[in-house]
Amino acid sequence: MNIYQPYLMSIKEITDETVDTRTFRLEFKDPEVAEKFTFNAGQFGEYSVFGEGESTFCIASPSTRKGYIECSFKASGKVTRALRRLSVGDTLGFRGPYGNNFPLDNVMKGHNMLFIAGGIGLAPVRSVIWTCLDQRDQFKDVTIVYGARSVGDLVYKRELEEWGKRSDINLCLSVDPGGETPDWKGKIARIPTAVEESGVKAEDTFAVICGPPIMIKFTLPVLTKLGFPADHIYTTLENRMKCGLGKCGRCNIGPTYVCKDGPVFTAAQIRALPQEF
Amino acid sequence: MTQRFLSQAELTALVAELVAAKTRVIAPVRAQDNPEQLDYMPIQKLEEATFGAQVPRRSLKEFFLPATEVLLRYVQTKEGVEIKAAPTEAPPFVIFSATPCDASGLDVVDKVMNWDYKDELWFGRREAATIVSFLCAAMDAVCFCTAVGLGPDSFRGSDVLLVPVEGGYLAHIITPKGEALLKGKGKEEIPASAKAAAEVAQSAAREKVEANLAKIPAEFAGWLAKNFDHPLWKTLSLRCHGCGACASICPTCHCFDIVDEHDSSNEGVRRRNWDSCQTSKFTLHASGHNPRGSQNERFRQRIQHKFSIYPAKFGDILCTGCGRCARACPGGMDLPTIVGELMAMAKAEPEGGSNL
Repeated sequence: MNIYQPYLMSIKEITDETVDTRTFRLEFKDPEVAEKFTFNAGQFGEYSVFGEGESTFCIASPSTRKGYIECSFKASGKVTRALRRLSVGDTLGFRGPYGNNFPLDNVMKGHNMLFIAGGIGLAPVRSVIWTCLDQRDQFKDVTIVYGARSVGDLVYKRELEEWGKRSDINLCLSVDPGGETPDWKGKIARIPTAVEESGVKAEDTFAVICGPPIMIKFTLPVLTKLGFPADHIYTTLENRMKCGLGKCGRCNIGPTYVCKDGPVFTAAQIRALPQEF
Repeated sequence: MTQRFLSQAELTALVAELVAAKTRVIAPVRAQDNPEQLDYMPIQKLEEATFGAQVPRRSLKEFFLPATEVLLRYVQTKEGVEIKAAPTEAPPFVIFSATPCDASGLDVVDKVMNWDYKDELWFGRREAATIVSFLCAAMDAVCFCTAVGLGPDSFRGSDVLLVPVEGGYLAHIITPKGEALLKGKGKEEIPASAKAAAEVAQSAAREKVEANLAKIPAEFAGWLAKNFDHPLWKTLSLRCHGCGACASICPTCHCFDIVDEHDSSNEGVRRRNWDSCQTSKFTLHASGHNPRGSQNERFRQRIQHKFSIYPAKFGDILCTGCGRCARACPGGMDLPTIVGELMAMAKAEPEGGSNL
């Protein structure tokens, strides 16, 4: 065993989220690993297709549920395209969990939560949402603002429906203008507007935001305007990685290693980073 | 730490003994394709080696982090996949006549290889190796080991440092590994004249390098961090082709890629290959976004990583001052000159560049 050796996992379930985004439910082949494996919401892993290579993404399932992990990916590179060719029962490799996590236990517990996500950016946020919902009594108000370019681009649709029905969640779904369908009942607005109009209060609230850089760029000022201090806003960064272990040398933004110092950062920490991401 | 006197014959016999015991012995020899250059290569007898004549064209890195190495083998079966991880233990080997810069480079890289996660492949080879360095007298105009806190007689990373004196060598025995290698060899009594001669040779060598570049002050790391957005980076990298030659021959550049190679329909290997932050695809995302999309950003990364990020994290400059990058660069990028210019700017504007 060396640090680059992955665990073997088998694909138990495949869900097509959108035309190009897919979710795998994965189980460890080795029962001992399955028993011992734990992670925290926000951590990531290196997923591999043997013969194609490794690719980095977050664990999209909640840390409160044992025995399996889920990941959602968009076919965009060599490995993600190869992942798409796999079927239920096939084997893939997984190294992890790596990196830090959202501080649910030590910072966010006992407060209101605001979750903001755009497109496939819901994957890491979903892990935090469910981890939070699985201990719902530990948190005050929960607000979720989620949007995508079009209705077809919304991921985890069954869960969105479930969240919409729950009285202990304030769910705001939104699609960009032009992305709506005739029967669309949600908002038609971009995320920054949807957040501003959500009626969420900054007081005693922590925000978790993830999505395309352009969405984050225009949503952060809105949060500031609403009164969120920069250290109450958490996000997760992505950069190209190979090792995930702080050695291969490519995910750093100046002195900050996304793989080891992140991937979870506060808006205050991101503001202090050099502009190289 | 002890000292011992070894005659030329004793050193020759030691190498013969190791080779007879099937221990791999590596030393600088004339390169097969270019007799003007040296390569670290396996030797059968000491006479094949060239001692202290010049800095070998490639560093010792490849014996610890090979240019390409198998991390694991896999076989796909009907039932799934079987993995065989690469062994982390390596057979013992001895390196003779390493330059002190190359030996110390390994010690510097140890820190990142042990940063929370221990890279057993690297450390397996580190533990297997005994390194006998040789007082460097091969410095040229681009050597600057003393500027990064090392020196032509640095003990760092070496198990033994040999200093040539009349009739043989004065051996500084630095570690228990060095002690074990020279157990029962040579004499413990060293003639006073030999000791004095070694001291003179060592300080003369240091002075020669010191003349190339002043010692990099501790504040330099912080100054670079503060000046991340300084326009100087745009000018500095104009001659950089982005070829990555500097990283290949660098003793401390350790960045790598991990790729799979499919050997047949159901078998293959996962490899680690050297990579370089100077190439354009190094940080390219699958989406097409590239956080370091231009060469000046990539060159800034190289300088920042070596002289700011690594020192801040691990307390060491990620550079041994060996000068290889300056010798290898097809664009004439000369690291000691560039570092010298940056140091002058830091001195002139300690609070940061005026353009900030």
